[in-house]
Amino acid sequence: MFRRHYREPVPELNTSSTADISFMLLIFFLVTSSMDTDKGLLRQLPPPPDEQQQPLDIQQEHVTTVKLDSHNQLTLDGTLLTCQQLTEQLMQHIEQDRNEHVISIETSRETSYETYYHVQNAIVEAYSTLRDQRARKLCGRPYAQCSAEERADIEHYYPQRISEQKPE
Amino acid sequence: MNKIRPRFRSSDSQRGVPGLNLASMPDLIFTVLFFFMIVTHMRDDNLKVRYQVPAGTEVRKMEQKSDVINLYIGDDGRIQIDNQLVTLDGIIPYINKVRQTLSPEQAERLTVSLKADRKTPMGTIADVRQELQKAYSLKINYSGSEAARQ
Repeated sequence: MFRRHYREPVPELNTSSTADISFMLLIFFLVTSSMDTDKGLLRQLPPPPDEQQQPLDIQQEHVTTVKLDSHNQLTLDGTLLTCQQLTEQLMQHIEQDRNEHVISIETSRETSYETYYHVQNAIVEAYSTLRDQRARKLCGRPYAQCSAEERADIEHYYPQRISEQKPE
Repeated sequence: MNKIRPRFRSSDSQRGVPGLNLASMPDLIFTVLFFFMIVTHMRDDNLKVRYQVPAGTEVRKMEQKSDVINLYIGDDGRIQIDNQLVTLDGIIPYINKVRQTLSPEQAERLTVSLKADRKTPMGTIADVRQELQKAYSLKINYSGSEAARQ
């Protein structure tokens, strides 16, 4: 009655090495790829100067001069200071003269990039702190979480007015 | 004396420790592999210069990777753009060449990520910046590492 199909058992595929193979793939990808994300300060350069263009007439009283000399010394309108102080001073200047202020950066050809970077960082910090304060007051959340329109408004309220001189 | 034996020490079945089932191991490793394939990207530039970027507290992440030209300035002042060493005069032709391969929208977003060594004199940076201005590549990212805020 019992029909017994006596079958030859199919030998199982030996998969114990699949783990090793995928490990090798994993290590290959770990070695050849990189995870570093590019971070930095995003800035916009002015278009190249036009020959016919008249230099803009800016009243001297609006201009704040940040100067870096060849010994990497930082001066703001002639007084020596640190990057921390620079941020605070610039925030005051921007607040006083929101739409007219101009930050002029003067460097020497020998100034190191690192010092310049710290100054750029301080300027970005001054603007972003002010914009953040404004965003919290207006929309009740930090600037980074505001909508595009709100951001445009705030950017219009605190425009970035930076001028960079070609180093001599 | 008839001691009560613990149950698990039944003398009649002396079985060994069952072997660990490794059948799911490849799947696990494949999962890790796919994770890495997604979060990382291939290293596309062969660095020919050595550089160490400065650190700042306000650095932001770059959004797209595709419309970015990497410009490296090494500690010896040599300039590498994407994958080749160039002189100052080679920057404009290279950017124009890249721009031709991009769509107009991408060309508008084109950003140059400036990865310069922290000891580079500003003279070099200013020269490079002037070339970028002439090439009308005005979006620039001063690449830096993130420093902790005091």
